[in-house]
This record gives sequence, structure tokens and C-alpha cells, in this order.
Amino acid sequence: MRIHLTVNGTGRTWEVAPGDTLLDVLRREGFAGVKKGCGTGDCGACTVLLNGRAVNACLVLAVKAEGHTVVTIEGVAQGGRLHPVQEAFLEAGAVQCGYCTPGMVLSAVSLLSHNPDPSEAEICEAISGNLCRCTGYVKQIAAIERAAARMRESQ
Amino acid sequence: MAVHQIRSVVRPATLEEAWECRRSEPGASRFLAGGIDLVLYVPPTVSTLIDLSCLGIDAVRQEGSDVVMGAMATLTEVLESPLVGEFAGGFLRDVLRRVASPLQRNVATLGGAVVRAHPWSDVIPALLVLDAQLDVFDGRRSTVELSEVRARSESPSPLVLTVRLPGASCDGRGAFEKFARTGFDVGVLNCACFAIIERGLCRTARVAVGGTPSVARRLPRVEETLVGKPLSASQIALAAQTAAGVVDVRDDRRATAEYRRVLTAVGVRRCLENLAGLGSEVKE
Repeated sequence: MRIHLTVNGTGRTWEVAPGDTLLDVLRREGFAGVKKGCGTGDCGACTVLLNGRAVNACLVLAVKAEGHTVVTIEGVAQGGRLHPVQEAFLEAGAVQCGYCTPGMVLSAVSLLSHNPDPSEAEICEAISGNLCRCTGYVKQIAAIERAAARMRESQ
Repeated sequence: MAVHQIRSVVRPATLEEAWECRRSEPGASRFLAGGIDLVLYVPPTVSTLIDLSCLGIDAVRQEGSDVVMGAMATLTEVLESPLVGEFAGGFLRDVLRRVASPLQRNVATLGGAVVRAHPWSDVIPALLVLDAQLDVFDGRRSTVELSEVRARSESPSPLVLTVRLPGASCDGRGAFEKFARTGFDVGVLNCACFAIIERGLCRTARVAVGGTPSVARRLPRVEETLVGKPLSASQIALAAQTAAGVVDVRDDRRATAEYRRVLTAVGVRRCLENLAGLGSEVKE
């Protein structure tokens, strides 16, 4: 089957099998920042934005992305400049092995695009589907709070 | 992981086309809504998916005093809807916030949750106590009770178009208890209660218990103990005791029947105490 979608701002037409997941297709097409973890929607390593909402790419059939917009971690930085969430993750040291980081960043980007001033509870809820087995969550939460404050200041 | 047995995905533009696709291949086809269940648990005989994306059944709207939620609306779209937020004090919104993770709620649809009706579903008990109805299509449109469509055995089961919250439930209040470590976990048991309280008495009372480990069911005997009575401490205790007595529980790998029976009493008591705090004062 052929699907047409926009990935990181660029229109794409891909040939996919009817049962391919969006995760399979994105990785096959070179978007290796979309990590493959559990494959059952539990870990969030495969998080992408589908029409601006964070989803588990492992649970979305590629055909469901027909006509839609996908953003992967490769598309978050703009014009060579990191997204404020990415900058905050670096500054707060919210990264250890890095495997969960793309998903965590995208969940945070999705949260801040819908809720610019989230509470700590709302941040915890937003990243509740992204598991980190290295650092815990304290630094990620601090990073997202820092990014939110910076994004509010710049507006 | 790719679902290799899927050979085709069709995208009908009308209800009639969708139903004909499904009816002509009842064993080999399935309706495709959010698709989570089909990725995780697709039956071995299924090779064709009927994508419902183009049928225009994803809006949440008001119809008279009813709130009508499209089957293809995601759980996120439902819980963010102001109409749902204002219905019965936002009870359904608050339950949906405790279902799975935001990542899954952004994909999972209300219709998928209703049709799949997992035994551990947190959505089903909430809809049962709101007296939800389903607008369905099986060659013709009709409206059926949620409990009725789940009891049907015909194959294929009707295409669910919308989930309707009757306006008669709008002024009530609901409470929900789930026995699990996090919203992400499959609960050991869940419980929903709903009441409309007038002049300190329950005009309407509905109680549903799920994950028993069967899919949620209403408990009419418990509801009978509450109607016309105040939500007093003694009445709540009686309802909880009755619930523990009548609930149909079994053992499974998550819990024993005996433990579930105890949890039923605790869940019903907590829900009713919550409602009593909102709608009237707990006496005694």
C-alpha cells in the first residue's frame, strides 16, 4: 500500500505493508531516533508526534498515518537550533543512557504545546508513558519545568 | 511489531460500504478504529481491516440534552471536550484521566474501548453507571443500551457510531475506584457509582463493578438498597455489604475471588462516601 504523510515538515510517499506499524516504517526510512523498546506501548521509547499529539509509534499502524503529520526527534530542532526542551534536558543533566530521551522530549514538547504552564503533577502525568530505567524522573521533571518557564518568557 | 497476517486495509466512505465489507467477511475482517488492540491481539483469522477514519464519526456534540460522543473520538478528545467536562460533574472526564497513559489515550478511541470491552476496562463501568446508549449500524441505524449490545452474540456485531450520554444523567454525580498501583496498570478490580440526590435522598443510584475478572456489570440489588434512601453511613455500609454478597467474582492470576469480594465492598463504600460528600452529608 502507498501512504502519503508529512514527516518533520517534508511530504513523503512510502510503500508499506498493511500490517506495518509506524515504528517499523519510520525506522526503515532512516528515522533512527524513534527507538524500538517494548513494542507493546509500555515504555514510550518509540514516541512520535502524530498531528501534534504524542503517541506510541509501535501501536499505530502506518496506514493510520495517511494524510497526517508526524514529528520525530529528528524534526524537533529548527534551523540548527535545539528546541528549548532539548536545551533544558542538557542543562539539567536529564539524560543518562539516552534511550528514553527522544520519547521523553517529544512527550514534553506535546505537553507544552497544549499547556504552557503545567504543574509538576501534570508533567508527571504527561511523561507517565515514558519509562526511564537509568536516572529516575527528577531531572526530567526539572528540565521540563525549566523549558516551560523559558518558553513562556520568550513569548 | 508488524502484524504480518494483515493483507489489506480498506477505507470505506459510507456506513453502508463499511458494513458490507464487514458482513461479507465476518471471520476475516475487523473494524479498525485506533488500532491498538489489533496490533497487540489480532485474531489469527483476521486478514482485512476496515478503517473507519473516513466515516465522520469522531465529533463530540450536544444533541438535545444528550452528549453524543463519536466512536472514533480518541479518549483524549473525549476527556478534553467541554461538554464531557460539564456532564455529571465531569465524572467521565475524571475516569478517562486514569486510563492508561496519555500516549495511549491519544490513539485509543471510545468506540474501540466499548467494542473491545476488556474485562479490566475502566471505561465500561463508568459508561454503565451513566446509562450510556450506543447508536449502531447493522444495515440500519438503531439505538441500544450499552449492556444490550455487549450481550449480543451475533457475528458480526453492529458498527458502533456514537456513545450517547442521556441528558437525564447530567445532573448526577459519579465516583470511581480502581485497585491498581497506577492508572497504567490493569486493575485487580474497579468500581463505579452514580447517584442523583434530591432533598437528601437518592432518586437514582447505579453501581457497576468490573475486573471481577469478567467485564463490568451493574449490580441492581445494590442499587435497590439505595434508591429512596439517604447516603448515610449505615446505608452505605449496607450497600457495600450487599455488593460483596452479590458480585460474581472468580480467581485469576491477579487476585483470588475472596480478595475481589472484599475489594468490592471497599470500592462501593469509597465511591458512595465520595458521592455522599458531594451530594449530601454522611449521617450517623
